Amino acid sequence: MKLQLGYIEISNVEFAEKSEIKDGVLYVNQEEVINEVLQDEHLKTARLEITKPGESCRITPVKDVIQPRVKVEGRGGVFPGWMHKVDTVGSGKTHVLRGVNVVTAGKIVGFQEGIIDMSGPGADYTPFSQFNNLVLVVEPKDGIHPHQYEKAARLAGLKTATMLGELARDLKPDETEEFETVGIKEGIEKYPDLPRVGYVMMLQSQGLLHDTYVYGVDAKQSLTTMIMPTETMDGAIISGNCVSACDKNTTFHHQNNPVIAELFKLHGKSINFVGVIITNENVYLADKMRSSDWTAKLAEFLQLDGAIVSQEGFGNPDTDLIMNCKKLEEKGIKTVIITDEYAGQDGKSQSLADADPAADAVVTGGNANMVIKLPALDRIIGMTDYVNVIAGGHDGSLQADGSIEGELQMITGATNEMGFNKLSAR
Amino acid sequence: MVKEIERTGLPVVHVCTVTPISLTVGANRIVPAVAIPHPLGNPSLDQKEEYQLRKELVEKSLKALQTEVDKQTIFED
Repeated sequence: MKLQLGYIEISNVEFAEKSEIKDGVLYVNQEEVINEVLQDEHLKTARLEITKPGESCRITPVKDVIQPRVKVEGRGGVFPGWMHKVDTVGSGKTHVLRGVNVVTAGKIVGFQEGIIDMSGPGADYTPFSQFNNLVLVVEPKDGIHPHQYEKAARLAGLKTATMLGELARDLKPDETEEFETVGIKEGIEKYPDLPRVGYVMMLQSQGLLHDTYVYGVDAKQSLTTMIMPTETMDGAIISGNCVSACDKNTTFHHQNNPVIAELFKLHGKSINFVGVIITNENVYLADKMRSSDWTAKLAEFLQLDGAIVSQEGFGNPDTDLIMNCKKLEEKGIKTVIITDEYAGQDGKSQSLADADPAADAVVTGGNANMVIKLPALDRIIGMTDYVNVIAGGHDGSLQADGSIEGELQMITGATNEMGFNKLSAR
Repeated sequence: MVKEIERTGLPVVHVCTVTPISLTVGANRIVPAVAIPHPLGNPSLDQKEEYQLRKELVEKSLKALQTEVDKQTIFED
């Protein structure tokens, strides 16, 4: 399966009468987007705001981050199962708006949304401070349940990103990149001497608004399976998660998975990147046993020499992570895990809830319990009244002057377990 | 908590869903629970069935509490 990504560089975003992309500037007709979003009967209000890198601005409570893309050649459309019918994506051509993201914000669960600071010390911890952000703040109608609100906010974000992506359909990309995955036999013939490496991507699927969707289907209802790496670039996997902000994989992370990007870079040179196994993080022990058994079984069947496992979230998913690692290692597959740590504010506690000597190659995204101070910023997009109860916050986190003291957990993407962040440790 | 109470000389049964974590942290008597969001119940059962499930869990735990162990033990049945 072969996909070409064509990048359209977006250097600026402005509101305008007509939605279009001209000379690297994305012009957005607010009304058009809002009207589309408010078609959803669960939403009472929606508003769009623009913020740019370096502005004294705080976005919160952040639900998801989505990169606008459009499929211009090949089967299906972006976000299959949601914005387009279910059809296998990942081949042909896709245009990517690089430099602008849609950020959805709203107090869905309150304590499980995050913060993006566009300047100051907080900006260093989130990759999303480096983009022009079109923030969509949505409020639910009275009496709507949190799960209905979550779905409405999720769809509002996907709709907006899809509308903006469409604007790039007929544009000429500034840069293109090609990604190809070949069949097992062809791969072995082409690269007989290269180690066979696979990627095991764990998807948050604990339920109760901790959900990830694959082609529209809740990952907790699926057995461990395979996906072509290029399918993820077309939005086959999306986030429906309300979990701690620092280590949740937003839809953007799935579209721009750094592990997949790196494996493609090394493919045919130092490794043979065989494919991607997706597995879940369910709440029944039997599911954990079965899913991790299945991971190891598929990896063995693919005759992998090595595997990289990325986690999402923390706590009981640490057990899924360790089970995956242990079972892969038992099959003789060299395994590296990517996780983050909850080692206490002083960094002295056990980092993961579970452990095993087989996990002897670990990459960390940083300590989520680390205490940080965020100064007051001039502009708030969203609302800050829930900051004292956000995961990583405490009673008194939001200070009278508007500054915030709390754990790194609060910041969207700060300790990302795909490695889409700057923190780590040796 | 399990370890601190045991340190004072009282035996403890750890009822928990993710038994591997319980083993990692060093509990000695472990009784598997139902699921992480509802360890001691099951909202998909009716009231009578759920009462029975809960009663059995407590009985199993009491039995585990009275059982001599010489190593970390998961009481499966």
